[in-house]
Amino acid sequence: MSEILALLFFPGGLFVLAGGMAYEWADRKLVARLQNRVGPRWFQPLADTVKLLAKEEVIPSGVNAFLFLGLPVVALAGALTAAIYVPLAGLNPIYSFPGDLIVTLYLLSLLTLCTGLAGANTANTFSLVGATRTLTQLFSYEAPFLLALLGPALAAGSWQINQINAYAHDHWLLLTQPVGFVVALIGLMGKLELPPFDAPEAETEIVAGALTEYSGRGLALFRLGRNVELMIGLTLVASFYLGGLGNPLEFFAKTLALLLGLSFLQSLMARLRIDQTVGLWWRYGALLVLAQWLALILIGGLAR
Amino acid sequence: MTERVVMADKREKFIIPIGPQHPALKEPGHFEFTVDDEIVTDAAVRLGYVHRGIEKATESRNWIQNLYLLERICGICSHTHAMAYCLGVEKLGGVTVPPRAQAIRSLVAELERIHSHLLWLGVAAHEAGFDTLFMYSWRDRETVMDVLEGLTGNRVNYSANLLGGVKFDINGDQGDTIRRGLDFLEERTRYYLDVVTSDAVFLQRTRGIGLTTIEQAERLGLVGPTARASGVARDLRIDAPYAAYGDIPVKIVLDSAGDLEARFVVRIKELFESYRIIRHILDHLPEGELQTKMPRRIKAGETISRVEAPRGELFYFIKSNGTDTPERIKARTPTMCNMASVAVLAVGHQLADMPMILAGIDPCFSCNDRSVVIRQGEEGGAWTWERLRQYGIDFYRRQS
Repeated sequence: MSEILALLFFPGGLFVLAGGMAYEWADRKLVARLQNRVGPRWFQPLADTVKLLAKEEVIPSGVNAFLFLGLPVVALAGALTAAIYVPLAGLNPIYSFPGDLIVTLYLLSLLTLCTGLAGANTANTFSLVGATRTLTQLFSYEAPFLLALLGPALAAGSWQINQINAYAHDHWLLLTQPVGFVVALIGLMGKLELPPFDAPEAETEIVAGALTEYSGRGLALFRLGRNVELMIGLTLVASFYLGGLGNPLEFFAKTLALLLGLSFLQSLMARLRIDQTVGLWWRYGALLVLAQWLALILIGGLAR
Repeated sequence: MTERVVMADKREKFIIPIGPQHPALKEPGHFEFTVDDEIVTDAAVRLGYVHRGIEKATESRNWIQNLYLLERICGICSHTHAMAYCLGVEKLGGVTVPPRAQAIRSLVAELERIHSHLLWLGVAAHEAGFDTLFMYSWRDRETVMDVLEGLTGNRVNYSANLLGGVKFDINGDQGDTIRRGLDFLEERTRYYLDVVTSDAVFLQRTRGIGLTTIEQAERLGLVGPTARASGVARDLRIDAPYAAYGDIPVKIVLDSAGDLEARFVVRIKELFESYRIIRHILDHLPEGELQTKMPRRIKAGETISRVEAPRGELFYFIKSNGTDTPERIKARTPTMCNMASVAVLAVGHQLADMPMILAGIDPCFSCNDRSVVIRQGEEGGAWTWERLRQYGIDFYRRQS
């Protein structure tokens, strides 16, 4: 019974959905204030979601309707499933097993994959270009992001999220693995397609990218999935690099601090072209994080 | 089972349509970019969605009514349109406008240039996905909008001109307000110049993109800041001074690089030049009348008048038949001259650069849309208003 409650309400399910929307609002509000705008009211993400859910979903001609309707559901389900393995609200994860870090990371990638497939499924030219860009971006940030999150795992000697979290509680890995922290944070921006990595949905070129044909429920689910992923991503990076998450207070303080950093980065830069994004990740991101890995292994070997 | 849509074009061309309705466009226009992966291999431009028939409409209004009609050709450079028209009609009518009025015309024209360039800076930054610069520059643009409102009573379509003069005077208090506004803007402009020339991420999007050599610029007939960014020394305020520009030392702003960065730099440096010109005008404002008497009928004849609009050379042809309405008025706006460069420059660039290249010429669609009917085997000559109207009705009937 308590497991079902945990899955449906707290800390999984509804809490994650509500939290995701709250984080989306915080992000939008922070960016707006940095850009000298007023920004949305606190309930705007909820209002958007309710409005979209209530709207008719138009299935364009030429698409596979099963995929068109199914992909948003899979995307959100992937993100929600990932939530049960991470220390949300600073509490122990609902489920945990050795190697759950890898499962979580792949569940998080499901959203991007679904977005790409959803774009490729429609016959819209903007969607097709957007889908190509989404998947190109996935292949560029995914490896460095993965390596950046495996750095703490290497240091902790475990690939289980709650054990890494416990280890990080005594070790601020931000200080010992600064490169990994930066790559993880920027990788999170790439994953969430936040500016300056928003080439896949650059409105001045390809309207809304892969999701151009989506309206109503499908769009709402994709947006919710994105919000949940923002929350989980912040939780992961904060728990690994910012000294672990032991209680709700720590959780909110650290994730919001990270979010502030994210909004600074978002409002600082112009959009990167997709070739520049790929170049950035493979030329700098991947190499730097690999160099840090090498250093970690060497130091670990010497210390032993 | 739903039916798979087969790509209509079997030649394996992948065409990205931008427009007529698209987030990158603030006004309707249509661009078709043929892309190979992300590289543009061909580009086509189609214009004419906001053709309003203003030139024809001038023929059924008198000289004074036309002043207000022509001012509405463009919402951004409205003053230059009215000024070009006034200068032409005054030349035809043989009227000399008092120097104080000419100075005030130039002053409003420079204020308009400031607001137009700041607006462009924001739009161009937005096309590059740099929304922070967009928001900041548009916030600061409010300063000059307030100044214009304080002077003329309007934020756009100032109606500062009259045939034979201007409508309002500038007193000492207003001069001080303008100077305060300019001081603030000058400081901000220095910051923007620093941003567009030193922000590494932004430079990646502008440096070396949309490269136009001086030969290309001459061949394509570019005008205004777009041409000056390629090193073409062409500025009507210097080459053919009008209004009060004969008495004002204007320095030309040139850049030889020819890329998007140069277009940013030239437009921002022109802002400094405008600040200097406005201060000069305020310091040397001649005393005297604001208006002279203008005849109601303009004697028969034809003339051209050219002014340097914020986007480049604005050209007016005015023909009078001796009555109180013009025989023919023809306006050629700078966007018309620059538009061809978009289709040429697009080829070989990435799709992501297209909005930037388009914004680089500072396009203004509604002023450049016009209808030209070319048919072989038909005699030329002017259409009557009824024939034009009937043509429009038939055209849309055929479409539906």
